[in-house]
Amino acid sequence: MSLTVALSKGKLLGGSESLFRRARLPFPEAEGRRLVVSLDGLRFLFVKDMDVPTYVEYGVADCGVAGRDVLLESGSDVYEPLDLGFGRCRLVVARRQGGPDPRSASSLRVATKYPKVAAAHFQQHGLSVEVVTLAGSVELAPGLGLADCIVDVVETGRTLAENGLEVVEDVAASSARFVVNRASYHSRRGEVSHLLDALRQAAP
Amino acid sequence: MNGTSHSRAQVPPGVQCFVGDEARRRRRIEDRVVSVFEGWDYEEIIPPLFDYADVFAGQALAPKTYSFVGRDGSLLALRPDFTSLLAKVAAGRLANRPAPIRLYYSGEVLRYEPPKAGRQSELYQMGLEHLGGGPPTADAEILAVAAECLDALGVRGWVLALGHVGVFNGLLEGTALDAPALERLRERVDAKDAEGARQALTEAGVAREVAEAVVRLTALSGDPPVLAEAERALAFSPRARAALAELRAIVEALSAAGLGRHLTVDLGEVRGLDYYTGLVFRAYAPGLGFEVGGGGRYDTLLARFGRPMPAVGFMLGLDRVALLLDRQEAAPAPALPAAENIASGDVGKALAHARGRRAAGARVRFGNGGGR
Repeated sequence: MSLTVALSKGKLLGGSESLFRRARLPFPEAEGRRLVVSLDGLRFLFVKDMDVPTYVEYGVADCGVAGRDVLLESGSDVYEPLDLGFGRCRLVVARRQGGPDPRSASSLRVATKYPKVAAAHFQQHGLSVEVVTLAGSVELAPGLGLADCIVDVVETGRTLAENGLEVVEDVAASSARFVVNRASYHSRRGEVSHLLDALRQAAP
Repeated sequence: MNGTSHSRAQVPPGVQCFVGDEARRRRRIEDRVVSVFEGWDYEEIIPPLFDYADVFAGQALAPKTYSFVGRDGSLLALRPDFTSLLAKVAAGRLANRPAPIRLYYSGEVLRYEPPKAGRQSELYQMGLEHLGGGPPTADAEILAVAAECLDALGVRGWVLALGHVGVFNGLLEGTALDAPALERLRERVDAKDAEGARQALTEAGVAREVAEAVVRLTALSGDPPVLAEAERALAFSPRARAALAELRAIVEALSAAGLGRHLTVDLGEVRGLDYYTGLVFRAYAPGLGFEVGGGGRYDTLLARFGRPMPAVGFMLGLDRVALLLDRQEAAPAPALPAAENIASGDVGKALAHARGRRAAGARVRFGNGGGR
């Protein structure tokens, strides 16, 4: 039985591919429409980035590549033994440029794709917030009056600026992580170590 | 039924119901495990389903406990685990019984828990407690019992991952980490995230030698030789050294008993730090993404009930065992022989015939109709 690797079809796919190739590990040519591909002793699952931790936590995949942002939001109980160094971004609180500081507001509505992270962050600061969960285009929310601020990932900050937003504070730093299922880590130790060592040597 | 929003068929999340072959299969799993427990001279205990809530207090489980107020105003709780109840009985009703006391249980526990990754609100646990025995003897004994259970169940490729809370706790002894900082660090070590652990240690201002050693824990797992590496790397801490020596004695005893190939050492196992006091272990097998069972040493619990003594225990989750055997495509419980239909023309005569066939050991289905 070969190890199963869950990979994100989203923004981490390119980085995963070049890392696997540098590590001289198999990687499917073009995933096309096939969501499950077996190749040279590995089985690849291509899933949505938010779903990678779930596949790994349940042991459907033995390991995978997931962003720290997604791991924080999912709260999945998986090992994260390796920071792969790509996909770097920050989870931040952002508001309309020149708007009031959301941390001093008495009540606050936050739009985000990361409802658990956002709620936990403001709770830690003693603020009770109403979290509005969106599936995308979160940057629109403050300008249209849906929310006072947003919690979202930024890489360069350009999207924020184009939508008239500015960063208030950082919530967490994120990058791609190699994650491993707890049971696989122990009961398929040899195969997992082999993969982990190859990736560790190839990671920047 | 006024005021309810659910249909008659709906069940609340987190509960389960088993019918026929499924139920038989679970009963069979339970029989096998119980016969191993009894083979090692553990006595069954059937504790109450609920008790005063303070019996279960002071555990990580407290927020997950279903509690309610009794008629006399006392706060009661449905049992969220068995260990506290057994400790209470060992210190109370069995107070005059000399240690060690060996007890086993098999039954449901109830917890507020969203159904997730093999957890339900209603869990069926089969476990045992060895009360009054110290390391390494009692620890080795319960690990051997756990091993025999997994073999008796026909689980393939199982491993026992052994850790010791004295390693992490010992390394951090004397550092002034507050509770939130300690929890952040524990959580990162638990995730085997070396970078995250290093960052948490730096933020907490932990001295470099200690910090480097704690970061090492995220990678100190594998075959038993990893113990030698740990002994070199963590030698500066007397408490960590003592914990490793204890773990080594357990590993050597089990290896001498032929269980070495099933053991893996995991010094990054840091769950249940406020409850366990020594050995901690988890049982894993290919096919199930989470542990099938686990346990450890909890030398401070019995003192809460007025009879301080060391203790070590373990449990298997019946739901998880059933799921694992499914995933490993282990043979299901053998089918029962077909039942003989005995029609009831003349009820008295037919019943006499049925009783005769029963006495001869046949399965009978009396009367007509019904199906599966």
